[in-house]
Amino acid sequence: MDIKDLKKYANKLMFDMTDDEYLLLKDEFDVILSQMDKISKIKDIKDIEPMSYPFENDYELRSDVEEDVIDIKDALANARLVVDNQVSVPKVVSE
Amino acid sequence: MIKYNSISKLHDAINSNKVNARNLFNDSVEMAKKYQDEYNSFVTILGDNYCDSDKDTLLNGIPYALKDNVSTKGILTTASSNILADYVPIYNATVYEKLLKSGAQLVGKTVMDELAMGGTGTTGHTGIVRNPLDKSRMIGGSSSGSAAAVALGIVPFAIGSDTGDSIRKPAAYSGVVGYKPTYGRVSRYGIIPFASSLDHVGVLARNVEDVAIVMDIIKGHDDKDLTSLKDENINYVDVVNDAIAGRKLFYIKEMLEIKTDNENINKVIEMFKENILKFKKMGFEVVPESIDKDLLLSVGPCYTVISSAEATSNHANLTGILFGLKSNKDNIQDMMMETRTKGFSFLIKRRFVLGSYVLQRDNQEKLFRNACRIRRLLVDKLSDLFKVYDGLILPTSFNIAPKFSDKIDTANDEYLMLENHLDLANFGGFPSISIPMGYIDKMPIGLSITGRVREDYLLLNMASKIEKELGLGDMDV
Repeated sequence: MDIKDLKKYANKLMFDMTDDEYLLLKDEFDVILSQMDKISKIKDIKDIEPMSYPFENDYELRSDVEEDVIDIKDALANARLVVDNQVSVPKVVSE
Repeated sequence: MIKYNSISKLHDAINSNKVNARNLFNDSVEMAKKYQDEYNSFVTILGDNYCDSDKDTLLNGIPYALKDNVSTKGILTTASSNILADYVPIYNATVYEKLLKSGAQLVGKTVMDELAMGGTGTTGHTGIVRNPLDKSRMIGGSSSGSAAAVALGIVPFAIGSDTGDSIRKPAAYSGVVGYKPTYGRVSRYGIIPFASSLDHVGVLARNVEDVAIVMDIIKGHDDKDLTSLKDENINYVDVVNDAIAGRKLFYIKEMLEIKTDNENINKVIEMFKENILKFKKMGFEVVPESIDKDLLLSVGPCYTVISSAEATSNHANLTGILFGLKSNKDNIQDMMMETRTKGFSFLIKRRFVLGSYVLQRDNQEKLFRNACRIRRLLVDKLSDLFKVYDGLILPTSFNIAPKFSDKIDTANDEYLMLENHLDLANFGGFPSISIPMGYIDKMPIGLSITGRVREDYLLLNMASKIEKELGLGDMDV
């Protein structure tokens, strides 16, 4: 893992870091990747079904019935800029 | 009156008119303000928040605190991150809604590690939280301020969240009780997430019975949370003192057999072994069980991989456009870039980069999916053991709270083996509690008890009996 790659991943996530932070992150990556490398050698690991949730449960979707409705004013209360009840952002498509 | 009193005692005092609930609330607010500069428990202290209430519940009039990742309509909710430094939610989390309806009185929102990622109490955007027992030491995290507020006696209980150990470890480091229920037992609707398959909402209090009182109010099915469990017809307070004779506990012998020069670790192991004798005298059967050492060493790395992957996805919505830190750049790309660069600390960014990396197509199989495979191996192993045993006991941490100046190597085998086992309860959704079990150099050591999924009542019952036997509940800092 080199710093150029780390910067690429960070920028894809829409943020940047300082040069020192990239160096620190590189060290951490080296540690975690080496730990995961050991784990990949655990016997028959490929035969195990990955677990994504703690346990099986009878999850049920709620009825598709309108319940709480957020007022438009509330929904926009934290937005950066609001014009005519809509969130306003700089123009995306150029002239 | 507020300081170091349990919920039951405060409830009795209010009901018999020995104490006025408004005065109790004001006492709590005054204490919160008094200790704020010294310990930094709160992001927000709500001095004017008292509401007259005559609800017929054990929490009516009882002051409490919420971790600052619990959404509170009209009240600042920052998750201790710069990116949400001015965020005011427009709706209530279910856990807050239930506490509002119970008549409990919210005193403040507590400092946490940023976005609940971290276990030190040093990464919140409003500063570090100090351990009430020794200000040169950490209190742990991420529910740092909630633990400090309870340990200082500002409130008899506080709500926290726990993705790996974030309720239980700070509880252990500060000498209070910390409870993470079964996955889905308490609704997570309105909680600013960290890692959805591992996140739990729980309670910090001064004794186990108080935890049961709070759980009876906040648990229950919630249509707004898909992962919420169905209701159960049981009041935890009613069974918390039931007999426990014949109950079976196990511990993981590989952890107790570790050879080390670290004096504190050896003292903790000795203390734990002495306590096992007490548990046996109480009527518990206590048996050592074995878990493969390589699996135990992999708990921490797998937790890091899984939680980082889920976190990076959960926080893609923090762009500053709809809510959060604003930018005045002249195009959306630059706006988001500036908001996220300034809004997240390095701690968060490094987790996001790792999370994104392990989810890349080329890496997913070897990194993310292998971590999920280890998760299954560990959970299946524990589930098998829980067919025989009622609980897993271990020291919550094998050391006292670290000093801020300590350099901790989290990658060596000793640390990996001893300090990550609390993650197991999050992997499998098992209910898990930390109660005080002794002191080393005047600093508390916690006992972790983990039980079968859905059997929160039994876990609290066993923990309450042990707490009474050890006589370390309701300790004054």
